[in-house]
Amino acid sequence: MTDVFALLGHGFAVAATPINLFFCLVGAICGTLIGVLPGLGPVATISLLLPATYALSPVSAIIMLAGIYYGAQYGGSTTAILVNIPGESTSVVTAIDGYKMAQQGRASEALAIAAIGSFIAGCIGTVVIALLGPPLALMTQQFASPDYFSLMVLGLVSAVVLANGSAFRAIAMIFLGLLLGMVGMDLNTGEARMTFGLVELSDGINFVALVMGLFGVAEVISNLEGASVRIVNKMRIGTIWPSFRALRGAWGAVLRGTALGTLFGILPGGGATIASFSAYALEKRVARDRSRFGNGAIEGVAGPESANNAAAQTSFVPLLTMGIPTSATMALMVGALTLHGIAPGPMIISRQPDLFWGLIASMFLGNAMLVIINLPMIGIWVRLLAVPYRLLYLAIVVICAIGVYSVNNSSFDVYMTVGFSALGYILRKLDAEPAPLLMGFVLGPTVEENFRRSLITSHGDPMIFLQRPISLALLLVSAALLISIMMPAVRQRRVEVFQE
Amino acid sequence: MMRVAAAILSAGMALSATAVSAQEWPSKTIKLVVPYAPGGYTDSVARITARYLEKELGQTVIVDNRAGGGGIVGSDLVAKSPGDGYTLCICSVGAISVAPVAQTTSYDPLKSFKPVSVVSTIPQTVIVNPSLPINTMQDLVAYAKSNPGKLSYGSSGAGGLMHYSVQLFDARNGTRMTHVPFKGGAPATAAVVSGEVNVSFTNMTDALPQMEANKVRALAVTSAKRNEFAPQLPTVSETVTPGYSVESWNGVMAPASTPDPIIAKLSDVLKKMAADPEVKKSMAVVGASTVFTTPEEYKAKIAAEVEQWRELLKEIAEKKN
Repeated sequence: MTDVFALLGHGFAVAATPINLFFCLVGAICGTLIGVLPGLGPVATISLLLPATYALSPVSAIIMLAGIYYGAQYGGSTTAILVNIPGESTSVVTAIDGYKMAQQGRASEALAIAAIGSFIAGCIGTVVIALLGPPLALMTQQFASPDYFSLMVLGLVSAVVLANGSAFRAIAMIFLGLLLGMVGMDLNTGEARMTFGLVELSDGINFVALVMGLFGVAEVISNLEGASVRIVNKMRIGTIWPSFRALRGAWGAVLRGTALGTLFGILPGGGATIASFSAYALEKRVARDRSRFGNGAIEGVAGPESANNAAAQTSFVPLLTMGIPTSATMALMVGALTLHGIAPGPMIISRQPDLFWGLIASMFLGNAMLVIINLPMIGIWVRLLAVPYRLLYLAIVVICAIGVYSVNNSSFDVYMTVGFSALGYILRKLDAEPAPLLMGFVLGPTVEENFRRSLITSHGDPMIFLQRPISLALLLVSAALLISIMMPAVRQRRVEVFQE
Repeated sequence: MMRVAAAILSAGMALSATAVSAQEWPSKTIKLVVPYAPGGYTDSVARITARYLEKELGQTVIVDNRAGGGGIVGSDLVAKSPGDGYTLCICSVGAISVAPVAQTTSYDPLKSFKPVSVVSTIPQTVIVNPSLPINTMQDLVAYAKSNPGKLSYGSSGAGGLMHYSVQLFDARNGTRMTHVPFKGGAPATAAVVSGEVNVSFTNMTDALPQMEANKVRALAVTSAKRNEFAPQLPTVSETVTPGYSVESWNGVMAPASTPDPIIAKLSDVLKKMAADPEVKKSMAVVGASTVFTTPEEYKAKIAAEVEQWRELLKEIAEKKN
């Protein structure tokens, strides 16, 4: 253990050199900016900035690129809260209560708790990497396809909990999401499914196009429909710091979110997204008064935002300890490392101690910088809402379009956004919430992939899901959760029956 | 009449435009399309190439990632781009030699492009989980024969090179292994490490770090010759399957309508690049060997590969009937 602190001290010596501090700051600022701009994600930004890092030392380069990634997690909540446009899949649930808070004139409170929660989660996540990186990485190796399948089932069951209105509508939305997620090339046979012969759809529907349409543009349309009275005038911009009462209410949510995020972030395949969804579901389960959720509950912002930032830090664990990228962004980090002459792999900690410990130390410093950058910015962001909507919405639509285009440099994706905007508007009219749909869309392909892979490896025996302890435990938790959702409905029906 | 005149006029203008551009090429930014996501192996090769071209040609070369459909989307885009030398592709074996045979693509690998040069090659490495009693290629064949369908192999997805190279291996050796597709080569390699699948014919890049850490056992390389980065490994061809040769390559290709003088100039630059020590060093980090071929050699290589996969698919289809 003392060993770890000595190494971490060495890491700080590396990270605190002026040049590395500078690039850490550059990364944090870039990340915040792209996080705030809806649709522009870290993947597009890092690949754009990659050539600019050729001249830097590998350590400086990776410190800056990592800063962009976790910086984006801070910024991503901003548009989710202010204008109901989640910048990334991990901010989708933040929009549910965050936007409600903004409408109630509590935007700065929501933004502040998002930043503070992210900071705490980021710091704890980093400590976990430093202390437990290698053993945690070994733990993820125990996860095989059946376990992932059961984990995703748990995610889907939690998605029902996300719904604020009728459970029936939520389930319908989850299934619509699952169907949309099936579009594209079938992994097992290479056959195209529901692509209408369009090559552009062979990799599935672009997530950003879907989100920008369902949330962003659809929100704009329905805002333009009503009288253009905005909630802004009610806003008090002066106080940025949330009240003591709000902080006390959010404290537990921050810690719970951090724990979930730290754990799920290590897992490949949308771990960070599941972490934020589960954090929201968990907050709703443990809350005494569930009706506050969907109506501006601060825990609904604090939990998921802490979870996604913790996950952003811990998602570096598999990359740094085993050389295995768990997401598109991490794959990009592998590319960045190899371009700098470092082959990531199980040997990286012993061969490149400067890089590993320097990066970890820079995450501490970067998180501190981010909270310093972000708290004063809140006033500016909130003031942005005072801009007349007829001007603001143009900017929103344009930035959404640029963001969608930048993901694959594809204009087809922009047309898809137009289509999904119409769908989003119709769903809004039907009182159907888009969050469960997105959950189905994100989890669906992973569920299918792991389900089929499990059955291939077990030669068709479905018992494999019950024989593996991790999978069995997850399935039992899902079943328990499902029953606890059904119970109130069952009880209510019984009451009704007795009344007759 | 007007229409004919307009057509002639525009054809003439197009001709003179290409004539000028062949002489002065390059006079503006060149777009190097990568049909895969940023961060992957092909992307790294593209960025190394772009950096060198920029230096030699004195023009900005931007890397344009157009991922999708296992490389088909980006390759198709280049095939349909104007042949003015300003849109080039870092194409790869999957979308050029395999996909047009295995599925329908709107481009023809031999007619829609002018190949310039292969820039890098990388063999696949046959890796197994170390807990298996398999130490040589002979062991692998024997084990697979006595346990038909029991050994599972991970691939980067149905119809990819990692899938077809094992199919070819099975067909030549009379073995049968179970296909388990993953989303990309990296997770397939990780699955061999964790033991979820037994075998994989995976890219050298992904295999090397795991081999060094003794997380997987490497048995052979799939290329015709031994590889410089792991000279201790025999080839599949010299051990169990004479004549077996599967190699992943990346190369610069241009739309078919690109004028020959531009191809020639580009070929000269790429020839110099293949001898550049700096480039060789960068390619080595990715696990790739730096290579140069003439446009004719490149074309012949693609034709031979297309033939190989076409035969294999015919063979598999016949066996099923």
